[in-house]
Amino acid sequence: MSKLRIIFKDYQERFSLVFCIFISFLLIFNNDTAVIKKSKINSLDTFSFLFAPFNWLDNQLFLNKKLEVLSSENLKLNLENQVLKVHEDENIRFREFLNFKKRDIYNFVGADVISKGVSANMSSILIDRGQEDRVNINDPVLTSKGVIGKIISTSKSSAEVQLISDVNFRLSVKIVPDDVEGILRWIGDDICEIAELKKISDIKIGDVVLTSNLSIYFPPNLPVGEVISIFEKSDSSNRIVRMKLYSDLSTINQLFVVQRGDEL
Amino acid sequence: MSFYLKLFPFAVVLQLLFSELLTFDGYQANIMLLYVILSSMPSDNNTSQSTVNGFLVGLFTDFVLFSGVYIGVSSLVFSICGFWASKVSHNFAFRNFDLYWIAFVHLGTVIYSLFRYDYFFFNDFLLFLSNCFFVTYFTCFVGFILIKIFSLKEAILNA
Repeated sequence: MSKLRIIFKDYQERFSLVFCIFISFLLIFNNDTAVIKKSKINSLDTFSFLFAPFNWLDNQLFLNKKLEVLSSENLKLNLENQVLKVHEDENIRFREFLNFKKRDIYNFVGADVISKGVSANMSSILIDRGQEDRVNINDPVLTSKGVIGKIISTSKSSAEVQLISDVNFRLSVKIVPDDVEGILRWIGDDICEIAELKKISDIKIGDVVLTSNLSIYFPPNLPVGEVISIFEKSDSSNRIVRMKLYSDLSTINQLFVVQRGDEL
Repeated sequence: MSFYLKLFPFAVVLQLLFSELLTFDGYQANIMLLYVILSSMPSDNNTSQSTVNGFLVGLFTDFVLFSGVYIGVSSLVFSICGFWASKVSHNFAFRNFDLYWIAFVHLGTVIYSLFRYDYFFFNDFLLFLSNCFFVTYFTCFVGFILIKIFSLKEAILNA
Protein backbone atom coordinates (compact mmCIF):
# COMPACT_ATOMS: atom_id res chain seq x y z
CA MET A 1 0.00 0.00 0.00
CA SER A 2 2.79 2.37 0.97
CA LYS A 3 4.63 1.42 -2.26
CA LEU A 4 1.53 2.33 -4.21
CA ARG A 5 1.39 5.63 -2.39
CA ILE A 6 5.03 6.36 -3.25
CA ILE A 7 4.42 5.53 -6.91
CA PHE A 8 1.35 7.78 -6.91
CA LYS A 9 3.36 10.59 -5.31
CA ASP A 10 6.16 10.22 -7.87
CA TYR A 11 3.79 10.31 -10.79
CA GLN A 12 1.13 12.56 -9.26
CA GLU A 13 1.59 15.27 -11.90
CA ARG A 14 1.21 12.82 -14.77
CA PHE A 15 -1.73 11.09 -13.12
CA SER A 16 -3.55 14.41 -12.76
CA LEU A 17 -2.89 15.30 -16.41
CA VAL A 18 -4.05 11.89 -17.64
CA PHE A 19 -7.12 12.10 -15.43
CA CYS A 20 -8.04 15.59 -16.72
CA ILE A 21 -7.48 14.55 -20.34
CA PHE A 22 -9.53 11.39 -19.81
CA ILE A 23 -12.48 13.33 -18.34
CA SER A 24 -12.22 15.93 -21.13
CA PHE A 25 -12.33 13.26 -23.84
CA LEU A 26 -15.20 11.57 -22.06
CA LEU A 27 -17.11 14.86 -22.26
CA ILE A 28 -16.13 15.46 -25.90
CA PHE A 29 -17.26 12.00 -27.02
CA ASN A 30 -20.52 12.34 -25.11
CA ASN A 31 -21.45 15.76 -26.50
CA ASP A 32 -24.47 14.39 -28.29
CA THR A 33 -25.95 12.68 -25.25
CA ALA A 34 -29.08 14.18 -23.75
CA VAL A 35 -27.45 14.65 -20.33
CA ILE A 36 -24.61 16.80 -21.64
CA LYS A 37 -26.88 18.79 -23.95
CA LYS A 38 -29.35 19.43 -21.15
CA SER A 39 -26.72 20.39 -18.58
CA LYS A 40 -25.06 22.72 -21.10
CA ILE A 41 -28.24 24.59 -22.01
CA ASN A 42 -29.36 24.69 -18.35
CA SER A 43 -26.06 26.11 -17.11
CA LEU A 44 -26.11 28.70 -19.90
CA ASP A 45 -29.67 29.53 -18.96
CA THR A 46 -28.71 29.98 -15.31
CA PHE A 47 -25.67 32.14 -16.02
CA SER A 48 -27.17 34.15 -18.88
CA PHE A 49 -27.25 37.19 -16.56
CA LEU A 50 -23.46 37.41 -17.05
CA PHE A 51 -23.94 38.39 -20.68
CA ALA A 52 -26.72 40.93 -20.08
CA PRO A 53 -24.55 44.03 -19.36
CA PHE A 54 -22.41 43.39 -22.45
CA ASN A 55 -25.44 42.91 -24.68
CA TRP A 56 -26.98 46.08 -23.30
CA LEU A 57 -23.75 47.98 -23.96
CA ASP A 58 -23.52 46.54 -27.46
CA ASN A 59 -27.10 47.60 -28.21
CA GLN A 60 -26.56 51.11 -26.83
CA LEU A 61 -23.31 51.66 -28.71
CA PHE A 62 -24.79 50.89 -32.09
CA LEU A 63 -28.39 51.98 -31.51
CA ASN A 64 -28.29 55.15 -33.62
CA LYS A 65 -26.57 53.44 -36.51
CA LYS A 66 -29.05 50.55 -36.37
CA LEU A 67 -32.01 52.95 -36.34
CA GLU A 68 -30.65 54.76 -39.36
CA VAL A 69 -30.18 51.51 -41.31
CA LEU A 70 -33.59 50.17 -40.26
CA SER A 71 -35.38 53.38 -41.26
CA SER A 72 -33.91 53.38 -44.73
CA GLU A 73 -34.58 49.64 -45.14
CA ASN A 74 -38.13 50.14 -43.93
CA LEU A 75 -38.78 52.82 -46.52
CA LYS A 76 -37.32 50.67 -49.29
CA LEU A 77 -39.34 47.64 -48.20
CA ASN A 78 -42.57 49.66 -47.96
CA LEU A 79 -42.20 50.72 -51.56
CA GLU A 80 -41.39 47.17 -52.64
CA ASN A 81 -44.31 45.86 -50.63
CA GLN A 82 -46.81 48.00 -52.53
CA VAL A 83 -45.76 46.42 -55.80
CA LEU A 84 -45.56 42.88 -54.37
CA LYS A 85 -49.02 43.12 -52.80
CA VAL A 86 -50.57 43.59 -56.24
CA HIS A 87 -48.59 40.60 -57.60
CA GLU A 88 -49.50 38.46 -54.59
CA ASP A 89 -53.25 38.96 -55.07
CA GLU A 90 -52.85 38.14 -58.72
CA ASN A 91 -50.76 35.06 -57.89
CA ILE A 92 -53.26 33.72 -55.34
CA ARG A 93 -56.06 34.14 -57.85
CA PHE A 94 -54.16 32.24 -60.57
CA ARG A 95 -53.18 29.45 -58.18
CA GLU A 96 -56.83 28.99 -57.26
CA PHE A 97 -57.77 28.86 -60.94
CA LEU A 98 -55.14 26.19 -61.62
CA ASN A 99 -55.94 24.20 -58.48
CA PHE A 100 -52.41 24.33 -57.01
CA LYS A 101 -51.71 22.92 -53.53
CA LYS A 102 -51.93 25.56 -50.84
CA ARG A 103 -48.63 26.88 -49.52
CA ASP A 104 -47.60 26.93 -45.89
CA ILE A 105 -47.23 30.27 -44.20
CA TYR A 106 -44.72 30.81 -41.44
CA ASN A 107 -44.67 32.64 -38.14
CA PHE A 108 -41.55 34.52 -37.13
CA VAL A 109 -40.63 34.67 -33.45
CA GLY A 110 -38.26 37.56 -32.71
CA ALA A 111 -35.33 36.80 -30.39
CA ASP A 112 -32.39 38.67 -28.88
CA VAL A 113 -28.91 37.16 -28.79
CA ILE A 114 -27.85 36.45 -25.19
CA SER A 115 -24.35 35.25 -25.94
CA LYS A 116 -22.15 34.87 -28.98
CA GLY A 117 -19.79 32.46 -27.26
CA VAL A 118 -16.13 32.86 -26.42
CA SER A 119 -14.61 30.92 -29.29
CA ALA A 120 -13.28 32.52 -32.46
CA ASN A 121 -15.65 32.64 -35.46
CA MET A 122 -18.92 31.90 -33.80
CA SER A 123 -20.25 28.45 -34.51
CA SER A 124 -23.27 28.77 -32.26
CA ILE A 125 -25.07 31.45 -30.28
CA LEU A 126 -27.58 31.58 -27.46
CA ILE A 127 -30.97 33.31 -27.88
CA ASP A 128 -33.61 34.33 -25.35
CA ARG A 129 -36.46 32.22 -26.74
CA GLY A 130 -37.10 28.64 -25.71
CA GLN A 131 -39.70 25.95 -25.25
CA GLU A 132 -42.08 28.46 -23.62
CA ASP A 133 -42.19 30.29 -26.96
CA ARG A 134 -42.73 27.02 -28.84
CA VAL A 135 -39.20 27.09 -30.25
CA ASN A 136 -38.24 23.56 -31.32
CA ILE A 137 -35.06 21.78 -32.34
CA ASN A 138 -34.30 22.18 -36.08
CA ASP A 139 -36.39 25.36 -36.45
CA PRO A 140 -34.70 27.61 -39.04
CA VAL A 141 -33.25 30.92 -37.81
CA LEU A 142 -33.03 34.12 -39.87
CA THR A 143 -31.90 37.69 -39.54
CA SER A 144 -33.83 40.41 -41.35
CA LYS A 145 -31.57 39.71 -44.34
CA GLY A 146 -31.49 35.94 -44.60
CA VAL A 147 -30.83 32.48 -43.20
CA ILE A 148 -28.11 32.15 -40.55
CA GLY A 149 -28.69 28.77 -38.88
CA LYS A 150 -31.01 26.44 -37.03
CA ILE A 151 -31.95 25.58 -33.45
CA ILE A 152 -29.96 22.68 -32.01
CA SER A 153 -31.05 22.64 -28.38
CA THR A 154 -33.68 24.31 -26.27
CA SER A 155 -34.40 24.98 -22.62
CA LYS A 156 -37.45 26.66 -21.07
CA SER A 157 -36.40 30.20 -21.87
CA SER A 158 -33.41 29.96 -24.19
CA ALA A 159 -32.16 28.07 -27.21
CA GLU A 160 -28.85 27.37 -28.91
CA VAL A 161 -28.53 28.25 -32.58
CA GLN A 162 -26.05 26.41 -34.80
CA LEU A 163 -24.79 29.03 -37.22
CA ILE A 164 -23.89 28.66 -40.87
CA SER A 165 -20.32 29.37 -39.75
CA ASP A 166 -20.18 26.00 -37.98
CA VAL A 167 -18.01 23.80 -40.20
CA ASN A 168 -20.46 20.93 -39.71
CA PHE A 169 -23.46 22.93 -40.97
CA ARG A 170 -24.84 22.03 -44.40
CA LEU A 171 -27.79 23.57 -46.19
CA SER A 172 -29.56 22.56 -49.38
CA VAL A 173 -29.83 25.66 -51.57
CA LYS A 174 -30.77 26.67 -55.10
CA ILE A 175 -29.42 29.41 -57.30
CA VAL A 176 -32.07 31.43 -59.12
CA PRO A 177 -33.12 32.19 -61.82
CA ASP A 178 -31.77 28.85 -63.13
CA ASP A 179 -32.98 26.86 -60.06
CA VAL A 180 -29.73 24.85 -59.81
CA GLU A 181 -29.53 22.96 -56.54
CA GLY A 182 -26.42 22.38 -54.43
CA ILE A 183 -25.08 21.93 -50.92
CA LEU A 184 -23.79 24.94 -48.99
CA ARG A 185 -20.99 24.99 -46.44
CA TRP A 186 -19.16 27.85 -44.74
CA ILE A 187 -15.51 28.52 -45.59
CA GLY A 188 -14.65 31.75 -43.77
CA ASP A 189 -15.86 35.28 -42.86
CA ASP A 190 -19.21 35.71 -44.64
CA ILE A 191 -18.27 33.47 -47.54
CA CYS A 192 -19.76 30.04 -48.25
CA GLU A 193 -19.14 27.46 -50.93
CA ILE A 194 -21.88 25.65 -52.85
CA ALA A 195 -20.87 22.26 -54.20
CA GLU A 196 -22.58 19.54 -56.25
CA LEU A 197 -23.85 22.02 -58.87
CA LYS A 198 -24.37 20.68 -62.40
CA LYS A 199 -21.67 21.87 -64.82
CA ILE A 200 -24.17 22.58 -67.58
CA SER A 201 -26.07 25.03 -65.37
CA ASP A 202 -26.07 28.69 -66.29
CA ILE A 203 -24.91 30.54 -63.19
CA LYS A 204 -23.76 34.15 -63.18
CA ILE A 205 -22.06 36.32 -60.59
CA GLY A 206 -24.73 38.22 -58.69
CA ASP A 207 -27.33 35.42 -58.91
CA VAL A 208 -29.42 35.01 -55.77
CA VAL A 209 -29.08 31.95 -53.50
CA LEU A 210 -32.26 30.70 -51.79
CA THR A 211 -33.10 27.67 -49.68
CA SER A 212 -34.18 24.80 -51.93
CA ASN A 213 -37.31 22.68 -51.90
CA LEU A 214 -35.28 19.65 -50.82
CA SER A 215 -34.60 20.64 -47.22
CA ILE A 216 -36.61 18.90 -44.50
CA TYR A 217 -36.34 21.73 -41.97
CA PHE A 218 -35.90 24.87 -44.05
CA PRO A 219 -38.87 26.18 -46.00
CA PRO A 220 -38.09 26.92 -49.67
CA ASN A 221 -37.18 30.35 -51.02
CA LEU A 222 -35.66 31.90 -47.90
CA PRO A 223 -32.84 34.29 -48.93
CA VAL A 224 -29.30 33.12 -48.13
CA GLY A 225 -26.84 35.18 -50.18
CA GLU A 226 -25.51 36.00 -53.64
CA VAL A 227 -22.97 34.40 -55.97
CA ILE A 228 -19.55 36.08 -56.02
CA SER A 229 -17.39 33.59 -57.96
CA ILE A 230 -17.65 30.39 -59.99
CA PHE A 231 -15.04 27.62 -60.29
CA GLU A 232 -14.83 24.84 -62.82
CA LYS A 233 -13.14 21.59 -61.85
CA SER A 234 -11.65 19.84 -64.86
CA ASP A 235 -11.79 16.42 -63.20
CA SER A 236 -15.42 16.67 -62.16
CA SER A 237 -18.83 16.98 -63.74
CA ASN A 238 -19.82 19.44 -61.03
CA ARG A 239 -18.91 23.06 -60.48
CA ILE A 240 -18.29 25.02 -57.30
CA VAL A 241 -19.70 28.45 -56.54
CA ARG A 242 -18.70 30.86 -53.81
CA MET A 243 -21.35 33.12 -52.33
CA LYS A 244 -21.53 35.94 -49.84
CA LEU A 245 -24.10 35.66 -47.08
CA TYR A 246 -26.67 38.45 -46.88
CA SER A 247 -26.44 38.37 -43.08
CA ASP A 248 -23.37 39.78 -41.38
CA LEU A 249 -22.44 37.09 -38.85
CA SER A 250 -20.24 39.41 -36.80
CA THR A 251 -23.06 41.83 -35.95
CA ILE A 252 -25.98 39.57 -35.12
CA ASN A 253 -28.14 40.92 -32.30
CA GLN A 254 -31.75 40.24 -33.24
CA LEU A 255 -32.95 37.07 -34.93
CA PHE A 256 -36.16 35.40 -36.02
CA VAL A 257 -37.06 31.77 -35.45
CA VAL A 258 -39.26 30.39 -38.22
CA GLN A 259 -42.25 28.34 -37.12
CA ARG A 260 -44.64 26.58 -39.41
CA GLY A 261 -48.06 28.25 -39.37
CA ASP A 262 -51.31 27.67 -41.22
CA GLU A 263 -51.78 27.12 -44.92
CA LEU A 264 -52.21 30.01 -47.32
CA MET B 1 -3.07 31.49 -5.04
CA SER B 2 -5.34 34.31 -3.86
CA PHE B 3 -3.71 36.55 -6.48
CA TYR B 4 -4.99 34.25 -9.20
CA LEU B 5 -8.41 33.92 -7.64
CA LYS B 6 -8.63 37.71 -7.66
CA LEU B 7 -7.62 37.75 -11.30
CA PHE B 8 -10.26 35.18 -12.29
CA PRO B 9 -13.34 37.52 -12.30
CA PHE B 10 -11.23 40.09 -14.14
CA ALA B 11 -10.35 37.48 -16.79
CA VAL B 12 -14.02 36.48 -17.13
CA VAL B 13 -15.12 40.10 -17.59
CA LEU B 14 -12.37 40.70 -20.15
CA GLN B 15 -13.29 37.52 -22.03
CA LEU B 16 -16.95 38.57 -22.19
CA LEU B 17 -15.93 42.06 -23.27
CA PHE B 18 -13.78 40.68 -26.06
CA SER B 19 -16.29 38.08 -27.19
CA GLU B 20 -19.33 40.37 -27.15
CA LEU B 21 -17.87 43.74 -28.16
CA LEU B 22 -14.29 43.54 -29.40
CA THR B 23 -14.25 40.88 -32.07
CA PHE B 24 -12.05 41.45 -35.10
CA ASP B 25 -13.55 40.10 -38.30
CA GLY B 26 -15.30 37.40 -36.26
CA TYR B 27 -12.09 36.42 -34.45
CA GLN B 28 -11.90 36.67 -30.67
CA ALA B 29 -8.97 36.78 -28.30
CA ASN B 30 -8.87 33.77 -25.98
CA ILE B 31 -8.42 35.55 -22.64
CA MET B 32 -9.20 32.45 -20.58
CA LEU B 33 -6.30 30.64 -22.28
CA LEU B 34 -4.02 33.56 -21.42
CA TYR B 35 -5.29 33.44 -17.83
CA VAL B 36 -4.53 29.71 -17.51
CA ILE B 37 -1.03 30.10 -18.99
CA LEU B 38 -0.10 33.07 -16.84
CA SER B 39 -1.60 31.59 -13.68
CA SER B 40 0.43 28.40 -14.20
CA MET B 41 3.62 30.42 -14.04
CA PRO B 42 6.24 28.42 -12.13
CA SER B 43 6.48 29.71 -8.59
CA ASP B 44 5.19 27.85 -5.56
CA ASN B 45 2.41 26.41 -7.74
CA ASN B 46 2.78 22.70 -8.29
CA THR B 47 2.09 21.09 -11.65
CA SER B 48 -0.86 18.98 -10.49
CA GLN B 49 -2.59 22.02 -9.11
CA SER B 50 -2.03 23.97 -12.35
CA THR B 51 -3.39 21.07 -14.40
CA VAL B 52 -6.52 20.77 -12.27
CA ASN B 53 -6.94 24.57 -12.25
CA GLY B 54 -6.73 24.58 -16.05
CA PHE B 55 -9.26 21.76 -16.22
CA LEU B 56 -11.72 23.58 -13.93
CA VAL B 57 -11.34 26.90 -15.78
CA GLY B 58 -11.97 24.94 -19.01
CA LEU B 59 -15.17 23.44 -17.63
CA PHE B 60 -16.28 26.90 -16.53
CA THR B 61 -15.55 28.24 -20.03
CA ASP B 62 -17.48 25.44 -21.73
CA PHE B 63 -20.49 25.40 -19.45
CA VAL B 64 -20.84 29.01 -18.32
CA LEU B 65 -19.09 31.22 -20.87
CA PHE B 66 -20.50 29.23 -23.79
CA SER B 67 -17.46 28.26 -25.85
CA GLY B 68 -19.63 27.22 -28.78
CA VAL B 69 -17.43 24.19 -29.54
CA TYR B 70 -17.67 20.69 -28.07
CA ILE B 71 -18.05 20.55 -24.31
CA GLY B 72 -14.74 19.32 -22.93
CA VAL B 73 -12.47 20.97 -25.51
CA SER B 74 -11.60 23.95 -23.30
CA SER B 75 -10.92 21.70 -20.31
CA LEU B 76 -8.68 19.52 -22.48
CA VAL B 77 -6.73 22.48 -23.91
CA PHE B 78 -6.45 24.34 -20.62
CA SER B 79 -5.31 21.30 -18.61
CA ILE B 80 -2.59 20.53 -21.19
CA CYS B 81 -1.49 24.18 -21.26
CA GLY B 82 -1.64 24.40 -17.45
CA PHE B 83 0.49 21.26 -17.15
CA TRP B 84 3.21 22.29 -19.63
CA ALA B 85 3.23 25.96 -18.62
CA SER B 86 3.95 25.02 -15.01
CA LYS B 87 6.78 22.69 -16.10
CA VAL B 88 8.88 25.58 -17.39
CA SER B 89 11.61 26.56 -14.96
CA HIS B 90 11.20 29.83 -13.12
CA ASN B 91 14.54 31.13 -14.41
CA PHE B 92 13.55 30.51 -18.02
CA ALA B 93 10.21 32.22 -17.54
CA PHE B 94 11.92 35.12 -15.78
CA ARG B 95 14.38 35.67 -18.64
CA ASN B 96 12.03 34.88 -21.52
CA PHE B 97 8.66 35.90 -20.17
CA ASP B 98 7.11 36.92 -23.51
CA LEU B 99 8.49 33.90 -25.36
CA TYR B 100 7.09 31.71 -22.58
CA TRP B 101 3.46 32.79 -22.81
CA ILE B 102 3.44 33.32 -26.59
CA ALA B 103 4.68 29.74 -27.13
CA PHE B 104 1.88 28.37 -24.97
CA VAL B 105 -0.75 30.54 -26.69
CA HIS B 106 0.39 28.87 -29.94
CA LEU B 107 0.14 25.41 -28.39
CA GLY B 108 -3.31 26.08 -26.91
CA THR B 109 -4.74 27.67 -30.04
CA VAL B 110 -3.49 24.89 -32.32
CA ILE B 111 -5.17 22.22 -30.16
CA TYR B 112 -8.31 24.36 -29.95
CA SER B 113 -8.36 24.83 -33.73
CA LEU B 114 -8.00 21.08 -34.31
CA PHE B 115 -11.44 20.70 -32.76
CA ARG B 116 -12.98 23.97 -33.94
CA TYR B 117 -11.79 23.68 -37.56
CA ASP B 118 -11.46 19.89 -37.80
CA TYR B 119 -13.22 19.85 -41.15
CA PHE B 120 -10.71 22.34 -42.65
CA PHE B 121 -7.77 20.40 -41.20
CA PHE B 122 -8.66 17.42 -43.37
CA ASN B 123 -10.11 19.22 -46.40
CA ASP B 124 -8.52 22.66 -46.74
CA PHE B 125 -5.33 22.89 -44.73
CA LEU B 126 -4.55 26.46 -45.85
CA LEU B 127 -7.88 27.66 -44.52
CA PHE B 128 -7.21 25.81 -41.28
CA LEU B 129 -3.83 27.54 -41.00
CA SER B 130 -5.23 31.00 -41.72
CA ASN B 131 -7.97 30.62 -39.09
CA CYS B 132 -5.45 29.28 -36.59
CA PHE B 133 -3.03 32.11 -37.45
CA PHE B 134 -5.62 34.88 -36.90
CA VAL B 135 -6.84 33.52 -33.56
CA THR B 136 -3.29 33.01 -32.28
CA TYR B 137 -1.98 36.42 -33.23
CA PHE B 138 -5.08 38.29 -32.13
CA THR B 139 -4.76 36.57 -28.73
CA CYS B 140 -1.01 37.37 -28.64
CA PHE B 141 -1.67 40.99 -29.57
CA VAL B 142 -4.30 41.41 -26.84
CA GLY B 143 -2.10 39.52 -24.35
CA PHE B 144 0.86 41.74 -25.12
CA ILE B 145 -1.20 44.90 -24.53
CA LEU B 146 -2.73 43.55 -21.30
CA ILE B 147 0.67 42.52 -19.94
CA LYS B 148 2.12 45.96 -20.68
CA ILE B 149 -0.86 47.98 -19.42
CA PHE B 150 -1.34 46.07 -16.17
CA SER B 151 2.38 45.30 -15.64
CA LEU B 152 1.43 41.64 -15.36
CA LYS B 153 5.01 40.45 -15.79
CA GLU B 154 6.15 41.94 -12.49
CA ALA B 155 2.92 41.00 -10.72
CA ILE B 156 3.14 37.36 -11.84
CA LEU B 157 6.86 36.89 -11.24
CA ASN B 158 6.55 38.34 -7.74
CA ALA B 159 3.31 36.57 -6.83
